[in-house]
Amino acid sequence: MKRSLLYLLFLTTVFFSCENKDDTVFEESADVRLNAALASYEKQLVEAPYGWNAVIYPGGGGSYGFYFKFDDKNRVTMFSDFSDASAAKSKESSYRLAALQTPALIFDTYSYLHVLADPDEEVNDGVRGEGLKSDFEFSIYGDSLTADRMAFVGRKNQSRLVLTKATQAQATAYTNGDLAKALLFNNIAKYIPYFKRVTLGANTYEITVNQNARTVKLIWLNGSTPKTFTTSYYLTPAGVTFVSPLVNGSQTITGFGNITWNANTTQLGFSGGGATGVVVSAIKPISVDLAASKRWWQTPIESGGDWRSATGFHVNGVDDAFKVADLKSDESIFAFYVYQPGVSARNDLFAPIFYDGKSIFLDYGHAPAPPTFTADGRAIFSPAGTYGTIPAAGAAAESAKLLYDPSGFYLIQTSDETYDMVSAKDAKSWITWE
Amino acid sequence: MKTIFKHFAYYIVAAILCSTTLTSCKEDSIGEVDDIPGIGGPTWVEGPVDRWIHDSLVVPYNISAQYKWNQFEFGNITKNLVPPDEAQVIPLLSTIRKAWTNPYVEEAGKVFYNKYSPKSFILSGSNEYNSEGSITLGTAEGGRKVILYGVNLFKIKGMAGYEPGRDSSFVKDWFLHTIHHEFGHILHQTVLYPVEYKNISKSYYQGGNWINWSDSDARRDGFITAYSSSAFDEDFVEMIAMMLTEGKVGFDKLVNSIPEGTSSHGVTKAQAQAALRQKEAIIVAYYKNTWKIDFYSLQKRVRTSMNKLF
Repeated sequence: MKRSLLYLLFLTTVFFSCENKDDTVFEESADVRLNAALASYEKQLVEAPYGWNAVIYPGGGGSYGFYFKFDDKNRVTMFSDFSDASAAKSKESSYRLAALQTPALIFDTYSYLHVLADPDEEVNDGVRGEGLKSDFEFSIYGDSLTADRMAFVGRKNQSRLVLTKATQAQATAYTNGDLAKALLFNNIAKYIPYFKRVTLGANTYEITVNQNARTVKLIWLNGSTPKTFTTSYYLTPAGVTFVSPLVNGSQTITGFGNITWNANTTQLGFSGGGATGVVVSAIKPISVDLAASKRWWQTPIESGGDWRSATGFHVNGVDDAFKVADLKSDESIFAFYVYQPGVSARNDLFAPIFYDGKSIFLDYGHAPAPPTFTADGRAIFSPAGTYGTIPAAGAAAESAKLLYDPSGFYLIQTSDETYDMVSAKDAKSWITWE
Repeated sequence: MKTIFKHFAYYIVAAILCSTTLTSCKEDSIGEVDDIPGIGGPTWVEGPVDRWIHDSLVVPYNISAQYKWNQFEFGNITKNLVPPDEAQVIPLLSTIRKAWTNPYVEEAGKVFYNKYSPKSFILSGSNEYNSEGSITLGTAEGGRKVILYGVNLFKIKGMAGYEPGRDSSFVKDWFLHTIHHEFGHILHQTVLYPVEYKNISKSYYQGGNWINWSDSDARRDGFITAYSSSAFDEDFVEMIAMMLTEGKVGFDKLVNSIPEGTSSHGVTKAQAQAALRQKEAIIVAYYKNTWKIDFYSLQKRVRTSMNKLF
């Protein structure tokens, strides 16, 4: 018994070792299928007769509009909404499809797409060594492709790139330079006051645009209840496109079209939600967050922190108008401006902080009394004393003079941990606290 | 018990033997070889830049230059880099050809140059940024492959936005210095320089600590650059690169600029200058005896070609 079992065991070994037939699930080998897939992806890219509208969502955030036209000689021509130059003039570079761990689309020489990924921070205002954390090598997943839409994932920073087939009219619009006209929207940064409003049909919206993060924030009143909507946006020849549309009752806004800019009157106009409007400035928020100023003051007291600003006050369209960044204490350089509530029961601290190469320190500063919080939501600061010897003229003295303006300030919460403190007098000066 | 075990072992041996025999008796053909994508490197439809590289580098010198992005040519794949702008490629490569290839070919002949020159240039459009704040300009692997970074920042006379003050020293200190430095390594790795070179500044080399020294500090110790003081070989090739890219006048100026007094290591001005002159003499003799190259004539050719670029 035992012996026959052993023989059986022995036999199976022999059979297994003789079995030498490849029985694959697929009819063709992996290489044949891979080549076919690469060829079909390239064919789809090349054969879109009017090219592709594209949006890239870099790993570092934001959204940017592009146009691509691929040819069958590994060349691609593109426009980008990143700058006036890249919107007005096309640039040709190269691309190829390759078999990496996945089939991949590689933009393999420098183009407008690489501007976002460039690790040189001077190119894109990003982080040194990282840029905007964008991509130019993309993995292709077959299930993310349809006849009119191709979506890819960046191989390094996981940016998303979405291509949709362009129409003839869209292609013509790009070559006519219409994207550059849409970039007129960027002129919204030229309004001097902090608050801007636009009336579209029956609704008036307060509009805040962050061009670095590429977001639009709209605030409106539903009866007396303030409503807030924030979306990413990118630009196309048709204007501003919202990544997610705003639905406000019967009005749906998917973006802004027909963008106009009058440099003489500093007026930006556009259409949206079935109506047309002009952006006007305002000196106060459309809806004042009445508790914000008290909350701003209270937060550091509870957390034990302070509020810091790297650039001091923005006044009349000029960042760091008093040039606090140039302040020095002997050899030590400026680090940040601080507002520390509740230094003592009598006073707070408002001062430049310096850095000597090893640690930060206080040399001199103002001591405002705890602010008065008005019923209409403002914080009003008044002097209670000073620390050290404050230079008679200069950035610190001027900053304090503005801080002690009797009209006071509105505090606008811009994120969980940031506030903009905006002059209630004319909304033309503000300081960002982080 | 013992016998069973013995039998057992017997069968196993037989089984192994048999299966081995059976597998090996069937000649396994390699089968159908498919067209494996990407084998032999990436391919694309060639354009004017590819033709220029082919005609100007591949055919005469058997040197390839890869400007299209290929992540796997770059050692550290965690770094964010971008490929070069096509418009930058020919100006950069022709500059290298003028200020490195041509002088060596004219002075030592094509056989020498083709035999020892690195064969593969890889270009990155951006710099490589390191976490401690430094920037990588170029790297070389095994005397065969040289990676040059910052190609999109390269500017010479005639290109848009060229500023002589800024860009000429950038091209000299980054691109040309790197090439001459790396080629120096290939030469001494082929035939080592005389050992007395190592004795000249023997007690003052400081290894990795070189980054804490400025070039002018290093010169007071008898090193031409701070990096020179890191190791014997680096000292040797930094000398070559500095002498060639600065020219005789520029090099003399650097030597003469060493201030009076003694360095923190106790080296006097006269000792530092003598050390640099001794190193210079050994290099000149090494080029003459080992490679039959007149160093000063080579130096003159490099500088002349550089003067035309800026």
